[in-house]
Amino acid sequence: MEARGENLLAVCFTAMASPCELLLPSGEEKAALNLGMLVAQEARRIEKKFSRYRDDSVTAWIHENRGVRIEVDAETASLIDFARQCFDLSEGLFDVTSGVLRHAWRFDGSDRVPEADAIRRLMPLVGFDKLRWQSPHLYLPAGMELDFGGVGKEYAVDRAYDLLAACRSAAFLINFGGDLRANRSLSHGPWQVGIERPDADRQATMILDLEHGALATSGDSRRYLMKDGVRYGHILDPRTGWPVAHAPRSVTVAASSCTEAGLLSTLALLHGARAREFLEEQSVRYWLLE
Amino acid sequence: MQLKPRGRLPAAASARRQLMAASCALLGASAVRGQEARMAPADSGFLEDWSVDSALAYYHENGRIQAVEPVVNVSKLFADGQALDLNATFDSLSGSSPNGALTSRMAQTFASPSGKTSHGYTTAPGQLPVDPHYQDDRIAMGANWTVPLTRVDQLSVGGKLSDEHDFFSATVNASIAHDFNEKNTTLSFGINDEYDALQPIGGAPVPGSDYALFEKTGHKSKNGAGVLLGLTQVMTRNWLSEFNVSVDRFKGYLNDPYKITSIIDSAGNTTGYEFESRPDQRTRKSAYWENRVAWNQQLSTGLSLRYMRDDWGVRSDTAQLHLHWSLFNRDRYVEPTVRWYRQTAANFYTPFILNTNAATTAYQSSDSRLGAFHALTYGLKYAQKVHGSGSRGESEFSVRVEYYQQTFNERLATPAALQGLDLYPGLKAVLVQVGWRF
Repeated sequence: MEARGENLLAVCFTAMASPCELLLPSGEEKAALNLGMLVAQEARRIEKKFSRYRDDSVTAWIHENRGVRIEVDAETASLIDFARQCFDLSEGLFDVTSGVLRHAWRFDGSDRVPEADAIRRLMPLVGFDKLRWQSPHLYLPAGMELDFGGVGKEYAVDRAYDLLAACRSAAFLINFGGDLRANRSLSHGPWQVGIERPDADRQATMILDLEHGALATSGDSRRYLMKDGVRYGHILDPRTGWPVAHAPRSVTVAASSCTEAGLLSTLALLHGARAREFLEEQSVRYWLLE
Repeated sequence: MQLKPRGRLPAAASARRQLMAASCALLGASAVRGQEARMAPADSGFLEDWSVDSALAYYHENGRIQAVEPVVNVSKLFADGQALDLNATFDSLSGSSPNGALTSRMAQTFASPSGKTSHGYTTAPGQLPVDPHYQDDRIAMGANWTVPLTRVDQLSVGGKLSDEHDFFSATVNASIAHDFNEKNTTLSFGINDEYDALQPIGGAPVPGSDYALFEKTGHKSKNGAGVLLGLTQVMTRNWLSEFNVSVDRFKGYLNDPYKITSIIDSAGNTTGYEFESRPDQRTRKSAYWENRVAWNQQLSTGLSLRYMRDDWGVRSDTAQLHLHWSLFNRDRYVEPTVRWYRQTAANFYTPFILNTNAATTAYQSSDSRLGAFHALTYGLKYAQKVHGSGSRGESEFSVRVEYYQQTFNERLATPAALQGLDLYPGLKAVLVQVGWRF
């Protein structure tokens, strides 16, 4: 727990490989630790359940059971349902099965752009429409992978928000690595949220005044490959297996839930050069850095 | 004027609505309870980020009126979801306007509305009597303010003022819209109230009085009030349907103070004129249904149908088909439009009064806008986006051309003296508009 300026109190922890925090008005030191525990527990529960890096996660269990029909729990089922709806409405642009492509692409700043053949070999394993899903029964064909990383952090923010909102009406803000949600303004004004944006080679911070709602940021950050003067960003188009050309460096979207904001900012990146046009069509508040 | 720029349609159903629905299913109460994100308005100055929509229209009726009409609309969406729209229009009409009298085999002389003989005019035999000194400048201003009340409720209030040298009009309106069914359904309710003051040159004529007696009173007014109930439904991700019904009622002096009707004898010779006389109340009911479908990234269509009837006996039907076709990576688009309109005549519409009936006629008007006619409008708009300019890094130039053709349907038995004369000249009009949005 630490003080943030004169008016704020922050409970900090690390989860999902990101710095996480719960912000409250100062003067609530007593309650802060308990509320912070609640938020941290929820973040770690979701991380443990869906991480693709852990061998005791539901994701790992699903991967161990490729090629057979399995029955998943209700929460996993609702996430897969959500993933399918996002796949449908984005016409395949948002795809939780695209993680397989990481076997070919390693965005380490090098010039190791994969062979076209390597990608072509992986493409039959990409596509939500290739798995069989009839909630709660899942059949994941051999070789395919599921990865909830694209939505997990935002989902965790919303879940933790729910837990807190149920027991507290005074102001709070939950921030998991830049994806955040607040329930109401502070007594002295809106939350001043600094969004870190990769601006060429320096880190710029943009200050936004949030009263309530969620903000999520997706970016092309510093993960890329460079070969023959061509920059290959780490946003992969699941329909081609290749990086999206001309994706903005950073997109921040405001929405009612963090999940929705996160999806919109991710979809915007996936639209590449047409990101701005896509966001305009959605009539959302957004901040875009090209 | 028959041709008016139509209001911009709301954006087509977006992926966002689908995403909201999906998020609600995933998050349950969290998404439902959460309000729309709200940013403090401090992040942009009041004077920044206005978008400006400007247009210059030229309107021309065959051999009659022409008008030049600049329109400016500025709007701003504030960070907290409030929106302010301001618009101003200036019309300058000039030319000649039919006075309502019938074409005759003899020359007809008319006094000016003020009674000054110097402004009188004479119409040649066989010509439609028109007042050649028609000149009117109109300035109109409107404002509309929309404010979200909750995540699913929105209030909108607005007003309009319009001023001409002989006419002043003020309207206020308010509406409330409620979203439900995961924002796929919107129910709206609106009311409006209008006050019009008529200050005709020389005073307002006593309805039905003899034109030669010049019986005029002072200024007159009329009042109108209306209600509208609307339902908008997202049918599928590419199909939006909108339905609304409205009722409005006008009371007061509903005559056109410059319109007269010819009195003829059984042979067809004009023996005099009467000022028109309309009832002092009019109630209109209308229903409107529109469907917009996006077929693919390039093509979307809108089909709308309107039915209107009033207690004067006027019934009208309108059908409009509208195409929006994007070209060249959506940097350009063309919009062909075709509109069909048909109306029946008001009960008291008559192109002339027979002198044997003159004393018994309660209401009468020869105003062709109350006659039975049908009309076709063909329109084409071409727009091109220009990148790198304007407040949003993008601006749009457009050109719109519309051609309007009106044909009269009902023809009365014509007395001998009038046979061979074109008593029902139709109307042809052209509108050209250039627009710049930035």
